[in-house]
Amino acid sequence: MIFQPAIIALLLAAALCMTMMLAATPFAVQLIRHWDLRSGSERQLRLERLTYLFSMLMMLVCVLQVLSTLLFVFNAERMSIMFVGAMCAVGTLNANVYGFPALYAQLLLFFAATSWLALNRVDNGARNYPLIRAKYAFMLALLPLAALVLYLQFNFFVRLEPDVITSCCGSMFSEDADTIASELSALPPRQAMLVFYLGLASAIALAAWQGWGKPARTRWRATAVGLSSGLAFAAALTGLLAFVALYIYEHPHHHCPFCILKAEYHYRGYLLYIPLFAAAAAGLGAALVAQFGRRQGLEQLAAQHSAALARIAALGFTLFVLIATAMIASSRLILLD
Amino acid sequence: MLELNNIRKAFNQGRHNEHWALRGIDLEIPPARISVLKGPSGSGKSTLLSILGCLARPTEGRVRLDGEDISALPERFLTEIRRRRFGFIFQQFNLVRGLSAIDNIILPGIPDGQPRAKLLARGEQLLTELQLDHRRDAAVEWLSGGEQQRVAICRALLNDPTVLIADEPTANLDSKLAGEFLLILERLAQAGRTIILTSHDPLVIEADIVDQVFSLRDGRLTGVEIRHPAFRLTR
Repeated sequence: MIFQPAIIALLLAAALCMTMMLAATPFAVQLIRHWDLRSGSERQLRLERLTYLFSMLMMLVCVLQVLSTLLFVFNAERMSIMFVGAMCAVGTLNANVYGFPALYAQLLLFFAATSWLALNRVDNGARNYPLIRAKYAFMLALLPLAALVLYLQFNFFVRLEPDVITSCCGSMFSEDADTIASELSALPPRQAMLVFYLGLASAIALAAWQGWGKPARTRWRATAVGLSSGLAFAAALTGLLAFVALYIYEHPHHHCPFCILKAEYHYRGYLLYIPLFAAAAAGLGAALVAQFGRRQGLEQLAAQHSAALARIAALGFTLFVLIATAMIASSRLILLD
Repeated sequence: MLELNNIRKAFNQGRHNEHWALRGIDLEIPPARISVLKGPSGSGKSTLLSILGCLARPTEGRVRLDGEDISALPERFLTEIRRRRFGFIFQQFNLVRGLSAIDNIILPGIPDGQPRAKLLARGEQLLTELQLDHRRDAAVEWLSGGEQQRVAICRALLNDPTVLIADEPTANLDSKLAGEFLLILERLAQAGRTIILTSHDPLVIEADIVDQVFSLRDGRLTGVEIRHPAFRLTR
């Protein structure tokens, strides 16, 4: 089972990321302890030179993790044909106890990696390395998460047994099941639509204000963008479960957010998830970088980068809403009278 | 003002052939003056010049340009400083064969995306100033040594740098051409540019136009001779 190209790629990517982060760890510790830009010592100059190498290494790790997230979901969906009882990625992820934890850990690492990339971009824009310590402390915090992803994915893939009968998405997302997903699925469509459109509209409005409004150095607006992006992300997933999926499947009881990734639904899930995840990550990044606006060298830069990320968030959420609405409008299902 | 604090530079550090080219250099190069780094081969002149011009980073120590620590700057900012603030004249001139004099001169402006017409106008102005306008379209390989050097000077001045750096500029010139070169340098310094040369040519070191001579040996500064303490601009 493990000798599938996608699994090998995922495990190699996770192992490579882990190795690169482990290689960067002694440097990160040394940098956090000894960084002093006022010093011209040999050690300081060596740290300055090495920071290019390790920043590039970490960028590679983070980009690899973003791509791994996509591949993990794609692979889970693709492998569903190998398990008895599996209809989509849910069946694959339910094939053993490591499946869903591996997905959640991968998603967490995705947001952590995009946040690191946002910090790195701001730091690279300044002349005085203002976030160098924060960046590498963050990297050290990412290390256990990357190890957890490797551990969970390895155990998930190694323990996959084709003769295990797994459960399909119907049991997980049915309105009668006893899970958070099923409770969200059971939300009345009208209420869910209200949550979905209000949540996303407020996130778009705040992100647009931060992105195109008068530049502000105050952090509260960017913080609001981050919070609203998180809430909009939750609202979007709720909406997907409660009514968007139903319109796509043209079935009043099929709530699965994974089946929309299948070829028979023209991979429409990717059209929804890519802008949604990009927007949520950008919104969180906009809030994160704005927190450093008072640091020397970042007075203008933090606000500029926060605005740029907020623009991406606004555009991503708008694209997501438009695509979801277009899918609803083109559906033959009548859910509301 | 260029300031160097405790500059040390090692090559092949940590290996069996580790070599310390500079062993703790402190010096200040004031603006609008002509400064010469002199010393025998292997004394560290060229290494020091490359550090002054941000072409290399020290292993230890700091370089400050007008008070800003430029040795700590990330490379992308350093490239900008190198392009805007420094002009380089190399010992072998390093002109691109096959290109005309004017095309060689405008080369440093091309990565900036400046309009070609603007670059050509600036290049022609420099050629006129250095009395080489009649050789505008000649391929550089057909120019004499002195003419090639003047093309190299024009190229170094294209971005209007405040600091002009030249490594052994008279090594390939006869005495007459070397004398002409020194006259050009004097004019540039009078116009407010800081000139830094490396040389072991007595014609350069003993020239009256030189304001400061820094003597190097075995990677250490062994002497500083200040000939004209007053600022050139007010002289």
